[in-house]
Amino acid sequence: MIQAHQLTKEFPDLKRGRVRALDNVSFDIPEGEIFGLLGPNGAGKTTCLRILSTVLQPTSGTARVADFDVSEYPADVRRRIGFMSNNTGIYDRMTAREMVQYFGRLYGMEEDALNARIDEIFDVLQMNEISDRLGSKLSTGNKQKVSIARTIVHDPPVMIFDEPTSGLDVLVARSVLETIDSLRDQGKCIVFSTHIMREVEKLCDRVAVIHRGEILAMGSIEQLIDEHEQPDVEELFFELIRKHDQQVAAPV
Amino acid sequence: MSPRNVKLVFLREVRDQLRDRRTLFMIVVLPLLLYPSLGIGMFQMMTTFREQPREVVILGASNLPDAPGLLDDEGIRTKWFTGGEADSSKLRILHDLVTDEEADTAADEQANDNRPTSEEARLAAAAERRRQLLDAARSIRRTVKDSKNKVEAVNLAFRESGIDVLVLVPSTFADGLNQANNAIKQGSPATAYPGPVVISNSADEKSMVASQRVSDALRNWEKALLEGRLKAAGLPADIHQPAQITRIDVAQTEQLAANMWSKLFPALLVIMTVTGAFYPAIDLGAGEKERGTMETLLICPAYRSEIVLGKFLTVMLFSCGTAILNLASMGFTGQYMVSMVGQQTQMAGEMSFPSAAALFWLFVLLIPIAALFSALCLGLATFAKSSKEGQYYLTPLLMVTMGLTVFCLSPAVEITPFYSVLPVVNVALLLKGMLLAPVSSQSLYVYILPVLVSSAAYSLLALWWAIELFGSEAVLFRASERVSPRLWLRHLMTEKQRLPGFAQAILCFVVIMFLQFGAMGFMRDMLSSGDPSTAMHRVLVVQQIFIIALPAVLMSLLLTSSVKDTLRLRLPPLKSIVAAAGLALVLQPLSFELSASLSGWFFPELSSELQEAMQSLTSGQTSLWMMLAVFALAPAICEEVAFRGFVLSGLGRSGRTGFAIAGSAAAFGIMHMNPQQVFNATLLGLVIGLIAVRSRSLLACILFHLIYNSLGVLHASLGMHVSTGGIFKYLFRHEGGMLRYSPLLLAFAAVIAYRLIRWVANDTPQPATDGPLENDSQTSLTTPISVTQDSHPAT
Repeated sequence: MIQAHQLTKEFPDLKRGRVRALDNVSFDIPEGEIFGLLGPNGAGKTTCLRILSTVLQPTSGTARVADFDVSEYPADVRRRIGFMSNNTGIYDRMTAREMVQYFGRLYGMEEDALNARIDEIFDVLQMNEISDRLGSKLSTGNKQKVSIARTIVHDPPVMIFDEPTSGLDVLVARSVLETIDSLRDQGKCIVFSTHIMREVEKLCDRVAVIHRGEILAMGSIEQLIDEHEQPDVEELFFELIRKHDQQVAAPV
Repeated sequence: MSPRNVKLVFLREVRDQLRDRRTLFMIVVLPLLLYPSLGIGMFQMMTTFREQPREVVILGASNLPDAPGLLDDEGIRTKWFTGGEADSSKLRILHDLVTDEEADTAADEQANDNRPTSEEARLAAAAERRRQLLDAARSIRRTVKDSKNKVEAVNLAFRESGIDVLVLVPSTFADGLNQANNAIKQGSPATAYPGPVVISNSADEKSMVASQRVSDALRNWEKALLEGRLKAAGLPADIHQPAQITRIDVAQTEQLAANMWSKLFPALLVIMTVTGAFYPAIDLGAGEKERGTMETLLICPAYRSEIVLGKFLTVMLFSCGTAILNLASMGFTGQYMVSMVGQQTQMAGEMSFPSAAALFWLFVLLIPIAALFSALCLGLATFAKSSKEGQYYLTPLLMVTMGLTVFCLSPAVEITPFYSVLPVVNVALLLKGMLLAPVSSQSLYVYILPVLVSSAAYSLLALWWAIELFGSEAVLFRASERVSPRLWLRHLMTEKQRLPGFAQAILCFVVIMFLQFGAMGFMRDMLSSGDPSTAMHRVLVVQQIFIIALPAVLMSLLLTSSVKDTLRLRLPPLKSIVAAAGLALVLQPLSFELSASLSGWFFPELSSELQEAMQSLTSGQTSLWMMLAVFALAPAICEEVAFRGFVLSGLGRSGRTGFAIAGSAAAFGIMHMNPQQVFNATLLGLVIGLIAVRSRSLLACILFHLIYNSLGVLHASLGMHVSTGGIFKYLFRHEGGMLRYSPLLLAFAAVIAYRLIRWVANDTPQPATDGPLENDSQTSLTTPISVTQDSHPAT
């Protein structure tokens, strides 16, 4: 469903000259799989996911999402993905229902189908109580629920979650993860980025550890732990990053 | 583009704005509250306001003739003032006839009674003040008589005296007047005699206004003196009006009102549409970024153009709404107030509401101007990274539009074909004309189409700009960058590219324009020294080299890694040489006739001084070679280096050739200060730009420019010597002291020009012989236009 091939993204920066935020990143994600991007802050996760959602253009390399090239057919790609990140807020002056409705309409959904779908989602996510409340009056957890509803309203085959649990309390974070888990069972192709190891362990079928724009390792969790002879994901993560930083520091 | 998505975005944004208290307050509540409360405030101010009476002192009052008497005990008689009591009460007039006695009495009273009442004390103080003023006046009179450096000395004494107007009557005035009157009566020549002197300071507003009132009274009194003189001499009273002119004013009240509305409404309309567009635009652009909903919108399937269009329509709706509500509220409040205050005066009639036709035009013209400002504001708002940054852009925008509107307010400025295609000015002037329609019979309908079409074009251009910004990663994900000139300079120096960037090209143009502006004074000094025509030539060459070429060359050296590529310093292929030379030859007659046919009616006539200066340039004693060097060779090299070299390379780096050619042509045009030349140069700039891009050689451009300008010089200086006889009569004719080209020749030139342009345009650009192009095209992908200080987003 998602094929990324040698994606590279550079940004100009006054102080550091040209900054390479993403360096030759390739991966392939089939449907029915949750793919985790694990990396510290500033590793390039958001940049990578923004390219997949067509908001940014890659400097070089290609990516295909649901069989459409992100650079050539951005609108077709966007129609087939649900994207949620820290930067996709909800409107303050719209109620929860209006917000989801608005995006459903932008996705081209028929009015009847849309309303039925909203009723269904609001039931599942237990949002009926807040459906007529303005965005500005919602708690962080409820805002996140609206965002999830907005992401899945058009039932896209591909979903991209960029650190969906950051800033949430344990209860809400858990329910968000459960929702994502249930989406896998519906056969969706899901990309999930985080810097929290436990989430990866619980949720992801495969994981890529990303640091300074490069993928350091990729595979299923068991496979990686075995390969690098580490006791758990946390140790694995630190070991990979330590090794990479040593390589960078050492003169070639 | 799907109208459904545009409509969805539009409806959402409108609802969003209507739920925002700030917007509602700005657009609905403020106009409804503001003007009535301003009205109430003005009422209160008016009731408490009283104009302070001004001090007028008349010295030598005893020397005035008895009949007709200018003065009474209170000062100048009320009957001499045109405004009567209303005028005279605004002056406190003191003269040396009565006041002395009065002052003495007051002083005596004070001396007699040891316990002065408050009334007496007040009188005493007033008497003291009078004495001081009279003393000061007498001292001024002495200064006037004695001082050599009169104005300066009197000015000083006058300023310190506290007197606003001083009238000095010479001691011989009444006698002189009498003698003259008698002489006239007897028919013998009258001897001259000194008259009263009125001293005031027109630099001081109080003194100026008081002086106008005093002069008015003196004029009326003088008229009475004249009548007396004529009567005594047995002459008719109207002897001084031999022409017997009768004046008829046909103004009707609604026309007076139209006159007033035509001054008020265009300015208000422009300002209201700007402010009405600005605040919603900031909320829809920068506000969306700030609240973190921009990315939510960007990942929906709607195209950027659909989103921008939806937002644009929202802004426009609020812009129109604000303008209409404000104008209506202001109009009703103003009319109500005037009807309250001025029932007795003629003002009441002047405020009758504009006619239905005028209001109709107000609504029609509201749309193009609101569209232009909405697109502009949305562009600025998209560029801003926060609402706060967005607010900063209001002031420059307002200043520019206010400047344009103030220009339109001037009564002498009327719509012309040229003004009808200038942004903002065209709408303001057409509206002014339309509101005046009941007064002026001039038909304005011919201007409606140009105004609407050109306004629509400007709006589309601004909208395109907004969409471009909305599609630019660097603008959408702009993060705050530390302000550091050092870092920035280092970045410029170390991160040099083969070609200049977009912003650098714009900078080069701005530098050239600023240098031109700054060097004006210096050039004027240069012009005033020596022989005017040689001085002019020297100025032109200096301007070409130092103001136009030098900045471009320096910037190429400093900011790019390849001066050769930036300035296209390579030999052109033979085909380009032929095309450039051929185009120059055929375009010169076409361009000349085009300007000739447009000047006078479309472009404003040049001022006669400028025309003379232009003529003296070409018709002087200068040799032809000198003129070719000044008017052809120097501009060909210097202007091409700047505009087809640095500017075109910079604008074209991102790969949009057509845009780059249009941009450099516009810059090239604007540099030629007067509108006519701007138009010509822009058109030619398009052709030379095309040659530059296709030949990749500046030499081809220089060749074109050299031949074109040389032909112009030859045409101006030798044109009248060209034979128009024989076979040439089909090609040329002499008209108005100039060589004109025949339609046959022009048609031929047009065909050739068309073929040559096609030939050049279909040519693929020469491949680069040096420098890795791939590298350049790659950087162009990642360096979106218009921003140099962009930063990467959070990862």
